[in-house]
Amino acid sequence: MSITITHSAKSAAEDRTQPLGNFKLAAGVTLAVLALMVFWRIFQQVYAWSAGLDSTEPAFDAAWMTLLKVELSVIPLLWVVTWAYLWFTRDRNLGALKPREELRRYFNLVLFNFVYAFCVWFATSFFAEQDASWHQVVVRDTSFTPSHIVLFYGTMPLYVLFGVGSFLYAMTRLPKFATQISIPFVLAVVGPFLILPNLGYNEWGHAFFLMEEVFSYPLHWGFVVMGWSVLALGGLLIQIAMHMLEVIGRLSQEDQASVATQR
Amino acid sequence: MQGGTSVRLYGLEWPKESARISRVFDLLVAAILFLAVSGAFHLHYMLTAGDWDMWIDWKDRQWWVTLTPIMAITFPAALQYVFWTKFRLPIAATFAVVCLLFGQWINRYFGFHLWSYFPMSEVIPALLIPGALVLDVALLLTGNFLFTAMSGAFAFALLFYPTNWFWLAPYRLPVEVMGQLVSVGDYISYAFTRTALPEYIRLIERGTLRTFGGHSAIIASFFSAFVSILMYLAWWHIGMLLARVVTTPNALKHFMGLTDKDEPAEAAQKAIDGTSLQGRSVAAE
Repeated sequence: MSITITHSAKSAAEDRTQPLGNFKLAAGVTLAVLALMVFWRIFQQVYAWSAGLDSTEPAFDAAWMTLLKVELSVIPLLWVVTWAYLWFTRDRNLGALKPREELRRYFNLVLFNFVYAFCVWFATSFFAEQDASWHQVVVRDTSFTPSHIVLFYGTMPLYVLFGVGSFLYAMTRLPKFATQISIPFVLAVVGPFLILPNLGYNEWGHAFFLMEEVFSYPLHWGFVVMGWSVLALGGLLIQIAMHMLEVIGRLSQEDQASVATQR
Repeated sequence: MQGGTSVRLYGLEWPKESARISRVFDLLVAAILFLAVSGAFHLHYMLTAGDWDMWIDWKDRQWWVTLTPIMAITFPAALQYVFWTKFRLPIAATFAVVCLLFGQWINRYFGFHLWSYFPMSEVIPALLIPGALVLDVALLLTGNFLFTAMSGAFAFALLFYPTNWFWLAPYRLPVEVMGQLVSVGDYISYAFTRTALPEYIRLIERGTLRTFGGHSAIIASFFSAFVSILMYLAWWHIGMLLARVVTTPNALKHFMGLTDKDEPAEAAQKAIDGTSLQGRSVAAE
């Protein structure tokens, strides 16, 4: 089942012509994420007012509960496939990793983090405040509202895919992240993920004691604290920069040794 | 590294390849920071002071003026720690506020206006950029977080009301509607009903200060400025905490099929991640 990555014995000159990271894949995934976000927003525009006001109507079931079921089946499937791929294709010979390949993997990690941040922005900014614009207008009669079905069961599980994915990528392909767990990285991934369990408290509060929709009420402050943890991405980026500087130093030494041998 | 000819970047001569690596890395980090700060700061702000920011009738002389700077100085303070102490960049507060406003304006248009059909005049976000510029300049001139807290954070809050007054003034004009005297802002919000946010929910001015006229906004600004100093100090240290590079040994290492020979040399690890403390390592601040 497991696949072992081997390090090809390319010459230093060949290596330098390779791209710094897998930019094409990152661009493709970013565009796919953007397309999905646009789809969700258009779906809301078309079906929120026409079929999303009364959760007991058949039209609500046909449009919104169908979307929810698709999200709850497809995104966890993506979790399993992506995370399993990253785990089973892990590098089992990290001690033999060449500096240039290590540098390339650091760039891939930064690109992974970019896609993660892209998803986080749509969830915590774009669709989160839009949730206010809906709930302060339409009185909720279910936890699965047109804004929640996209925000909590669409965009948030999607950023969990990339957050945990980037963590696994680093842990399975970069020696320093494999031997030492980065606490800022854990915070930057686990904090936003914990917004999902906090959703249970939010729905419980709205179902039992909070009828109106004031966004600043203490019921929502759990989300705030989880959002703060995104700041730990700063600590992670500093850590990655420090690691990359060290790799570049080794790369430089390797190149100098190669020049000396040729002479 | 062999990079052929060198190039000049950030005032230094770089091998061509190193310069390329540095440029690409910087661009990616800038994009990640913009998205992450915009998302996290917006989430924090909308759920602590958002109601006052979302609606024109909530922008009162007491609560809005008090609460907004206190909640808005958080991320600028945390980012100032990272930007200033790590990179000597005096732009953190402005950067944070621009990120916040970017998220807000996108949302007020696509969410509140296009989806929920509120007029833009009802949902304009508050202006925070002038106060943020002063906060950055305070740090640039003093180079000290304590002096920045006392001068910059104080000014950040005091400038909030005058900054917003010029665009808010038309909404404060009195208008008579069905025999009642209300402000234009109030009337807009009565006309565009918020079913789940009834008017009785709004925190309105209380106490006796309003009896004496408009100076309740000035009193509120000074109180906000005092609390903003404390918030700035607290969030500077939260920035310090979250920017620390702390690691702990991976307990799953052997389960992953790694052996001790895969470990980076201990000295190299210390040089990268800082001083090792009983298995953990913490980078120097």
